[in-house]
Amino acid sequence: MKEFKPLPDQPAPNDTIGPIPWIKENLFSSPANSIATLAIFAFFATVIPPLLDWLFISANWSGTTQAACTNENGACWVFVIAWSKQFFYGSYPIEEIWRINLCLIGLIAIIIASFKLPKDLRNKIAIPLFLMLPFISILILSGSWIGLEYVSTDYWGGFSLNVLLAAASIIVAFPLSFLWALGRRSDMPFVKSVSIILIEFFRGVPVLALFFMGSVMLPLFFPEGTNVDKLLRVWIVLTLFMSGYMAEVFRGGFQAVPKGQYEAADSLGLGFWQKTLLIILPQVIKISMPNILATFVMLFKNTTFLLIIGIFEMLSTTQTALTNSNWLGGHSTEGYLFVAVVFWICCFSMSMISSSIERKLDTSHRN
Amino acid sequence: MSIEHEQSIENNDDIIIIKDLNKWYGEFHVLKDINLRVKKGERIVICGPSGSGKSTMTRCINRLEEFQRGSLIVNGVEMIEDVKNIEAIRREVGMVFQHFNLFPHLTILENLTLGPIWVQKKPKKEAEAIAMKYLERVKIPDQALKFPGQLSGGQQQRVAIARSLCMNPEIMLFDEPTSALDPEMIKEVLDVMVELADEGMTMLCVTHEMGFAKKVADRVIFMDAGEIVEQNTPEEIFNNPQTDRLQLFLSQILDH
Repeated sequence: MKEFKPLPDQPAPNDTIGPIPWIKENLFSSPANSIATLAIFAFFATVIPPLLDWLFISANWSGTTQAACTNENGACWVFVIAWSKQFFYGSYPIEEIWRINLCLIGLIAIIIASFKLPKDLRNKIAIPLFLMLPFISILILSGSWIGLEYVSTDYWGGFSLNVLLAAASIIVAFPLSFLWALGRRSDMPFVKSVSIILIEFFRGVPVLALFFMGSVMLPLFFPEGTNVDKLLRVWIVLTLFMSGYMAEVFRGGFQAVPKGQYEAADSLGLGFWQKTLLIILPQVIKISMPNILATFVMLFKNTTFLLIIGIFEMLSTTQTALTNSNWLGGHSTEGYLFVAVVFWICCFSMSMISSSIERKLDTSHRN
Repeated sequence: MSIEHEQSIENNDDIIIIKDLNKWYGEFHVLKDINLRVKKGERIVICGPSGSGKSTMTRCINRLEEFQRGSLIVNGVEMIEDVKNIEAIRREVGMVFQHFNLFPHLTILENLTLGPIWVQKKPKKEAEAIAMKYLERVKIPDQALKFPGQLSGGQQQRVAIARSLCMNPEIMLFDEPTSALDPEMIKEVLDVMVELADEGMTMLCVTHEMGFAKKVADRVIFMDAGEIVEQNTPEEIFNNPQTDRLQLFLSQILDH
């Protein structure tokens, strides 16, 4: 019998590989494309040099007071440097700042651990710790329950507050929104309608209105004399707001899990919660991860709205610094630019983390 | 049917008893007065055109589909509207699907041990030993630590069979187990099924593989339009069809 031998592979034609064919093909493929390329280059050429000059070359870097900003043509980074402690930590007492750092490090450590640990340890250690983190952080930051010096929430502030508040909200919103989404899919009419009302209320009302309700209206409903901490109320509002959005994200995830997965779990005799937690939840999270991260980025940026109800998060600290009598006179560009850059770095890193999580969770190896 | 007659039937060793089963999808009457008894160890092949209700009937046996009228007794347990009851029946009935339905986020080994650990409450070590035993039987123990997406269709379906066997079921249901497979992979799945049949497993198999039916089936059931039209031994069904409907069906699937 004749033996079948496949033909050997041949290299791709030479003129399609390398930088020059790439430039030809992508930047100058047609007259219109060439004009667009040149116009964009011209735009960058006129804008970038003066920007770099203002940002770095002529900028004022050293000193501690406004008087140190001598060069009028450059940015006054002295302002940002002098206020950096407030920008990051608010009015939290200097000698206690390690507590904030501890919480932030804890947050980052748990996120890294959940990437690096094997599945067993992750499910048994990292995830429970992650869910407890907001409460542990409150104990540490507040201090009085664990024998540290008490720091009232009036002094909490700055960028660390934005981060911790957003993290604490999403951590609690995770299980809550999953339950809401589950409720919305339920066959029980009462559970279903309550879930729909909750989800649609917190999704439909603007977050600013929710903040005002939380800070102004909510206390009216509490009995006379009880004083629920303002920051706690804000945390609750953010959590509920986030839950409304994430419940819808999860619902999309639920719908994307093939019906066969439910049937296979059923046919093994798994109970409802076993099926939901062991089979469906992991797949829903995987499917929903990009949208969860996008929702989280939105929530994180929304924490700056808190300046309106007098929480000293980063943006309101910046405004306070701008109206300080020693620094009056036009540092708002530097201040707001700094806020923007800090937020952008965080949000961009989160998108990077998001795509790396997607790659890690992708065990299907399908196209 | 007289009372004495009914009792005498209850007392024999039928493992599945379906009586006057009727099912509707909304207004659409999908199953009409289905009566079927399956003996322990019997191998049944169910065939028929698509939309004939053969999958639906099979899926009623482990309650993946509800039915509106009639009764169904599996291994002595009557199927009623009760979660405990349904779960008890599902533990006795293994099911293999057309699209495998392996859990994509779990390794092959985890797919196999999930049921024994969470449903039968076996220790992890014991569950893994059972899983490896069945992976050996379907001849892919070396794939234990891979994910389903890394396996070929035929391998995935063999894993799905092993996953059901790990629960030590009394009955195995197969819902078109080879229909989603490439021609080159059908044989490896059928070989596993033939082996299983030779060991005396009670099997209900919805399939278009007539070679398999001839080889292992004790009885072939032909369904159309929600009814059991004919049932008989494979020889009788293939060589001596009693109805024109079966004759037409056979001529269409065998004539090329």
